[in-house]
Parts: sequence; C-alpha cells; structure tokens
Amino acid sequence: MTTALVPVVSLVNVRKVYGGAAGPRTALADITFDVARGEFVCVVGPSGAGKTTLLRCLAGLMPPTSGEALFEGTPLRCVPEGIGVVFQDYSRSLFPWLTVARNVDLPLRVRGMGRAGRAARVAEVLASVGLADAGRQYPWQLSGGMQQRVAIARALAYRPDLLLMDEPFASVDAQTRFELEDLILRVRADFGVTVVFVTHDIDESVYLADRVVVLSRSPGVVSEIVDITLPRPRDQLATKRDPAFARFREHLLSLVMTR
Amino acid sequence: MTVRRLALRYGLRVGVLAAALGLWQGLSAAGVIRADEFPSMTQTATALWDQARTATLWTAVGQTLEGWAIGLAIGAAAALAIGTVIALNSFAYHSVIGVIEFFKAIPVIAILPIGLVLWGATLTMKFALVAFAVFWPLVIQVCYGVRSVDPVVRDTASVLRLRGPRRFALVIMPSAAAFIATGLRVAVAVALIVDIIAELIGGGSGVGVRILLAENAGPSAYPLMYAYIVVAGLLGVLLAGAFTIAERYVLHWHESQRSAAVERNIYPERTEVTLAVSLSPGRWPGADPGVAVRRLVRRVVGAVGWLEVAVLPAA
Amino acid sequence: MFVAWWVRSAGSKSLYFPPLESIVKALWTQWVTGPARADLSSSLEHLIAGYAIACVAGIGLGMALWALRYAREATSPYLYFLYVLPAPVLVPAAMTLFGIGFSMKVVLIAFAALWPTLLNTLDGMRGVDAVKLDTSRVLGLPRWRNALQVVLPAAGPQIVAGLRNSLQVAIILMVVSEWEASTDGIGYYIVSAQQSFDYVGMWSGIIVLAIIGVVANLLFVVAENRVLHWHYGARAVEGGTR
Repeated sequence: MTTALVPVVSLVNVRKVYGGAAGPRTALADITFDVARGEFVCVVGPSGAGKTTLLRCLAGLMPPTSGEALFEGTPLRCVPEGIGVVFQDYSRSLFPWLTVARNVDLPLRVRGMGRAGRAARVAEVLASVGLADAGRQYPWQLSGGMQQRVAIARALAYRPDLLLMDEPFASVDAQTRFELEDLILRVRADFGVTVVFVTHDIDESVYLADRVVVLSRSPGVVSEIVDITLPRPRDQLATKRDPAFARFREHLLSLVMTR
Repeated sequence: MTVRRLALRYGLRVGVLAAALGLWQGLSAAGVIRADEFPSMTQTATALWDQARTATLWTAVGQTLEGWAIGLAIGAAAALAIGTVIALNSFAYHSVIGVIEFFKAIPVIAILPIGLVLWGATLTMKFALVAFAVFWPLVIQVCYGVRSVDPVVRDTASVLRLRGPRRFALVIMPSAAAFIATGLRVAVAVALIVDIIAELIGGGSGVGVRILLAENAGPSAYPLMYAYIVVAGLLGVLLAGAFTIAERYVLHWHESQRSAAVERNIYPERTEVTLAVSLSPGRWPGADPGVAVRRLVRRVVGAVGWLEVAVLPAA
Repeated sequence: MFVAWWVRSAGSKSLYFPPLESIVKALWTQWVTGPARADLSSSLEHLIAGYAIACVAGIGLGMALWALRYAREATSPYLYFLYVLPAPVLVPAAMTLFGIGFSMKVVLIAFAALWPTLLNTLDGMRGVDAVKLDTSRVLGLPRWRNALQVVLPAAGPQIVAGLRNSLQVAIILMVVSEWEASTDGIGYYIVSAQQSFDYVGMWSGIIVLAIIGVVANLLFVVAENRVLHWHYGARAVEGGTR
C-alpha cells in the first residue's frame, strides 16, 4: 500500500514511558506528526527531550507505550523492511571484524542477493559516499568522517524507503560535518529516500530540512513544526548567507531555548 | 526487576537443584549407579551434615584457608610492590617482562614436586606454592595497570604539580586500581585451587587432604569424599563472591562500575536490575503501612538483584 | 638466569638440586631420544583431546545458554559453582568412576577445562554492545545470523580469554590426573622419579612440563593474534588517539 499519498511515517499520539529506578519516566508525552514521501524532516530539541527515544520508536526498535507509530500505513511491530538507520556512534555500530566492503555487503547477504549483484551494489554505494577505494580496509583504520560515510553507505545499500539518522554528525569535527551534510543532501537527491534526521544543531537542521519538528523538554511534546522554505539545492555558503536562513535559525533557537 | 520475575528465577533455580539432587538419589536407588562406585545423594548429604556438626569440617576448612590466606597475602604484596617498582621504570620493565611472562606460563603444577622436596607436606609448602602461583600473573597485571594510566590524567597531575609519593597515591594507584582488582580476583581463585592441589597431592592438612584420605579409605568413605568435594566448591564460591562484593564497594567510583550504570540508563528497557514495581503508591505515604512494606520489598529485591549480579562475574 | 643456574649448580653434591648439566643430559637421553617420549606423547594426546572437547562444548553450551533465557537463569549459580570448584578434587572421584585409563583423563580434562570457556562465552555474548545489537536488528539480520555473525564475533576477545584460561586448567589437570594412579604420562614420570629418588629425572620432568606450558602459551598467542587481529588493531587506534 505504498501510494504516493500515504505518508511514509505517521506518528499519532505516541507516548513512551520508561520504568526507571527512580520511578516511571515519561520520555515522550504526546507526539503527532507525519512525514511525506521524499521529505527531509529534522527533529530538534534540547537534551533530554526524547529525540533518541523517538527515533527508536520510528525504527521499530521499541514499541510506544501508547499511541500509534505507522510505517507506510501499517503499525510498527518490529523493525520493518525498508528502513535504514545511521547511529551517532559509528565506532560502535560498524562491525570491527569485517572490512568496509563486508560491512556494507552484510544487509545484502541477508536479503539473499547474489554475489555479482552484491559486489556491484557495494561498489556503487561506496562510490556514492566517496569511498570507492576503501572497501578492503577495516572501519577502524579510517577517520571518523569516513567511518560515518561507511555507516551511511551500509544503511543505503539495500535501498530503504526511509532513512533514520540519530545525531549522525555530532561526533565529527566541524569541517567534516559540512562535507557530510552536503553528502547526505546529494545522496537524498540521487536515491530519492525519505529522511528523518535527529539533531541538536539548529544550523544543521535549517540547512538540511524541508520541515523541522521541534520537541519540547521532557516530557516531550511537539512544540511546533516549522516549514523551511529555503530554495534547493542548498549550498553551504549561499544558503547560509540568505537572510531567511537567519530568520529561521532565530525562530528555532527561541523555541528550543525557552522550553 | 519485578518481584514476580525474581520469584520465578529463584524458583527455577531451586527447582533445578532439587531435580538434580532427586535424579542423583533416584539413580542410586535404582541401582544405575553402583553403590560401591558412587554414593547416593542422601549418604553424601548425611556425611556432610555429620562433618558440619562436629569440628572436623571446620578444622579442615580453617587449615585450607590458612594456606590460602598466607600465600595470597605474600604473593599479592610481593606482586604489588615489585610490580609497581618495575612498571615505573621503563628500562626495568622492558628487560624483565620477558622473564616474567616465561615464568607465568609455567604450569604451577610443575613446581609442586620442588615444593614437596624442599618443605615436605607442611603449611610452608602450601603457602609457598600459593604465593608462587599468585605472584606471576598478578605482577603482570600490576605492571599493566600502572603503565596504563590515562595520559590525560597524567598530564593533569603534572599541571597540578603533583610529584613523588603524593602523585603515586593520588593519581597512579587509583587508575591502576581496576587492573589490579581484576588481577586480584583471579588471584583469589587461583590461590584456592593451588592450595587444594597442594593438599591433595602433597598432603598436610585441610580439605584436600580429607578428600584424599576418604578416597584411600575405600568405597565406604566415598560419601565423605564427595561431601568434601562439595565443601571445596562452596569455599570457592564464597571466596570469589566475597571478593567481588568488596571490589564493588571499593571501586564504585571507577569507570567500569559506573559505565554499567550509564548503560542501564541509555537503554532502560534492557536493564535487568530495574525496579519497575508496578504497585500504586498510597495517597498519604506516611499513613499507609503498605507503602513502607513495599519500599522494603523493593529494597530487598534490589539488593538481591545487585548481589546476584555481583556473584556472577567473568573471569 | 640460565647461565647462573648452570654455574651455581655445577659442582653441586646436593641430592635435591643436582647440577643443571646432568639435568639437561637427562632431558636429552630420556625425553628427546629415550623412553620417556611415550609418556610425553601420551600426556599430550590426553591434553589435546580433552582441551578440544572442552573448547567445542564450552562455546556450544555457552551459545545455547545465551539463547535460552530460562535455562540460563535456572542454572547460572551452579555453573559458577562448577567453575570455581578446584577441579583436581575430582580426580579421586573420576578414578572411582572411570578407572585409570585414557577415558578418565580425557573426561577429567574436558570437564575441568569446560567451565572457563563456557562462562566467558556466555558473559561475552551477553555483554555485547547494545548499539551492535540494534544495528543488527535494523539491518534485518535473522536471529541465527545475529547470533553467529554479530554476537559471537563481538564476544570474540572474551571467548579467547576464556579459551586461554581453559588451556591452563587443562594442563594442570593433565598432570594431576596422571599423578595418583596412572601407568604413563608426564605426571606419572615425575612422581615415580621422585619416589625412586631419581631427582635428576624429576627435574627433567619438571622442565619438560615448564616447556610445554610455555610453548602452549606461545602457540596460543600466535593464534590469538591472527584471529583477533581486528580487535588489537581497533584498540591500537583507540589508544593512539587518546
């Protein structure tokens, strides 16, 4: 049931409560929003607002306590086919006992792709993240930025409909971050994948997104959803010079900081 | 951990133990296990109980522990002292490490005959052997620990102008503490094993000797032999468990203990030692006696869960 | 050190500490070219057989217990009990049950060496980084792939530590099982030498044992560096950036 009209992701009154040592803790109180096909949505909020929890619910890693999380119209019970996830901590997510190529190859083997097909796909996706020659190396031999590219490549290898990213560029230095931001925009344009991108960096969210969902501090609710009407394709210099950029930035900052 | 789940877990354990013991007894009674080869469960249990009531079991345990404690103390003290000295001097470390690794690889059992020859079947032989066995792996651990002080910590100490003994005590010792703790934990177990081997083979006094005597006394004494085997095992569990608990207390501030707590918070639904006692609190906490009871239950459950995690460390 | 020992004991008249020279001679005549070779090979046979069984069973059972939660929760204290039980105390029991032949020794070695590997496998697998498990789920790995291709390699370093521990235990048991009532083996050789006051022979046996321990350790380290090269590589990088 994947018509263009069905939102890729749909959250309806999602609520998540943890039972902790200090009593129950409400990470998400009431989250409702949709993500349309091909959109780039950023989720921002202060620390502790439950951004990571939200992402895990979206991925199907964790069921919500109440409310519904729908992926392409069907409720999430487990991790569905067609989702890719890039975690923040690439050094813990990439498998150090496999080479880069084998890391990227793994989800394809799971899906039963033939050897020739796999080799071709791995080469293609590594080239698209700019790591065409790194296949035979081990992840830990690469720099942080390159490792995160590998993680992105691995997530995209099986052509998911939805790409979830949990503060993926938080652990890399600023220069590399700009490169990776442009990379993800390019990749989105090339593969046509829908992206939900969690971040604490306001600038990044304005630069990347079509829409920004602002979460309030715990308990997390949706403060506001801001449409970013900046023109595409985005450019690090030109877009950030646009006065509209500063306006959006200020607006989001005020939302995040007051909550 | 819900009370229900904890009850289920302990119920299962008791059940497994009861089933195993029952099976043992059943096999003996049915004659599958011949009486002259292997005693029945009840015979062993009776023997154990008899021993426990009289002084013999406790004397034997005491004798074993004597050798264990003295040997461990000597070996550990030597390892700590020598290890630190070696580790602080880079030249000394690199020249000596080969020899130490060599001696560590020698199976301690090879030294036993020498010990027997030198000291006979005495307490000295036992603790000398234990000390020898404990020393080599522990000195290596101490060296690792002292040498692996986080460079950032070391630099901070330099900036703060910490020198000499104070630097050692405040900076180096705590950082090395985790390595040393692991080394000590292994040493505690090794010391017991070597101690009992020494008794079993060399003679002297203690639990190992009792086992040997019982074996030589023939089938009629087999219940006694197995009773003491059980004692040996329990001794091991007790010592190892006690050490782990002590380690938790002393090192509660350390990374390895703290990171476990942090992990539990990041992925709360994975936590095992989480109290999700889903009882609703009373309206007036003071006035409702039930709340006090529930709080007590929560604490007990927490302590048991914590204890259990403490008594199942990895080697 | 070796030189010092040689020199110091050269003129020794002591019964208990014969000259190193004569020990080395005995080493050659007995062990390398002589009758004791049978003892050596017999011992090594038992060791290898017992250790191999322990490794396979240890990892296999460790994986099984990781997968079956109720079995694990029900039996874990007993596993731990058996792990800290000083295995040599079971020698008398094993003798009554299995006699004094090949099977007794192999069973004993295998039984004793099983526990370090089993417990380390179990703990290693349970302690796998949660991020890896999440990644595995997200990539769509079915349970068996997850177990074999993610959890097992991730637990690799700890499993190897357990295997090493098991090797040490196996060597100890190899000797101890031959001590009491046996007709061949290194342990038997040492004991009978000691009892017949052949101290040179006794020392030669001790040295052979020490050599076995050292060589086994060396082989293990070599194998470990190959299998876990990724682990040491990753750690080296980590250490360098600190």
